[in-house]
Amino acid sequence: MRKPMDKSSRRTFLKSGLVLAGGVVASGLLKPFNAVVLAGDKPKGEGPWYGIGIDIEKCIGCGRCAKSCKLENNVPMEPFYFRSWVEQYTIKKDGEVTIVSPNGGIDGFKQTVPDNEIFKSFFVPKMCNHCYKSPCVQVCPVGATFVSPEGVVLVDPNYCIGCRYCVQACPYGCRFLNPEKNVADKCTFCYHRLQKGMSPACFANCPTKARIYGNLRDKSSELVSFIKNHTCMVLKPNLNTGSKLFYNALSMEVR
Amino acid sequence: MTFAVVIALFLGVRYLLVPKSFGEYGHYRGLALAENADRPLHYSTSANCARCHEDIFGDKSKGHHAGLSCEGCHGPAGKHVLFSDSTHTIKLADSLILKRDSTRQFCAVCHEKNAARIKILFDTINKSVVKVVEEKKHNHLFDKETHKLLNCIECHNPHDP
Repeated sequence: MRKPMDKSSRRTFLKSGLVLAGGVVASGLLKPFNAVVLAGDKPKGEGPWYGIGIDIEKCIGCGRCAKSCKLENNVPMEPFYFRSWVEQYTIKKDGEVTIVSPNGGIDGFKQTVPDNEIFKSFFVPKMCNHCYKSPCVQVCPVGATFVSPEGVVLVDPNYCIGCRYCVQACPYGCRFLNPEKNVADKCTFCYHRLQKGMSPACFANCPTKARIYGNLRDKSSELVSFIKNHTCMVLKPNLNTGSKLFYNALSMEVR
Repeated sequence: MTFAVVIALFLGVRYLLVPKSFGEYGHYRGLALAENADRPLHYSTSANCARCHEDIFGDKSKGHHAGLSCEGCHGPAGKHVLFSDSTHTIKLADSLILKRDSTRQFCAVCHEKNAARIKILFDTINKSVVKVVEEKKHNHLFDKETHKLLNCIECHNPHDP
């Protein structure tokens, strides 16, 4: 036999429902607390706010970005520590996707798939996306990784406890644990060069100018016009990380 | 009473443990910004190379390699620039002289035939075309003394190929 519905429980249910709905409406009205309610709006402020544009059509996969990044930032030379690296995607006629990145592309690429089987092939340079809603910053338990006022995601190596939580959190695989210092390590957008008015090493050494960087707040900057003039996309847009790395001609096979 | 003591103790310990500049700009150590900005440079800029090597720079700016950075091939020149002087009175230490990679494999890093580079070869809209060859097949001339394949730079001037 079914139990008759308890009148008081229905009342509590309706009441809590109304309170919840009212709360949502009220929190929407509280503009100053929007940062808590709707995490991660684009930060307001003066000064540069950097983003990156990479043109996959121009990349020739020479790996100079990966090489210069390693030398500029004393990244360990082992072939599994990278702040910046290049991947070659080869899509066969039967739809099979092959991804290779021998030593990050530093020593060049050898074609592994015979020409007659290839439908298309292209290089994808990868690096930190410098997200403004970055998952890696959100998970740091001690505040050792943060977004600088310029929109650059940085690590404080003197404060990091090496818990590797951020390495797990980054959906783009852009972080690693530095084997010498045992702290999290990642692309710093060459913050030390940027602050001296120089281009980051990977941008300066790209022979085809496939990668550019610029101020997203300046509507006349090279990057803003790059995004306007090309069909750009970020990696994994479904994750809503607020990535500031915009790829031109990004195929959906790229992960 | 105990409650107040615990709170005071907590505040004291917190004061000692939290770094001075923490929270200056956000939930991080403010000094970390300056520390990140103060790291030493390894790469310089091509403009600094041109200040002494203007003849080579002139050659390069005429050819197909005009858009390339000097250090992309020659390696990081930060210290080389720092210890050089334009009057050539001080001889640079050997460790500061840049060592170029003149092997065939190094040129092949950009110019080796690859399915992903072919689209660039036929790009007639943008004139910045990268020529591709098969490193294993291109020009099988052996050096008479070393019996090795000739390096690319024996025929092509890398600054104006």
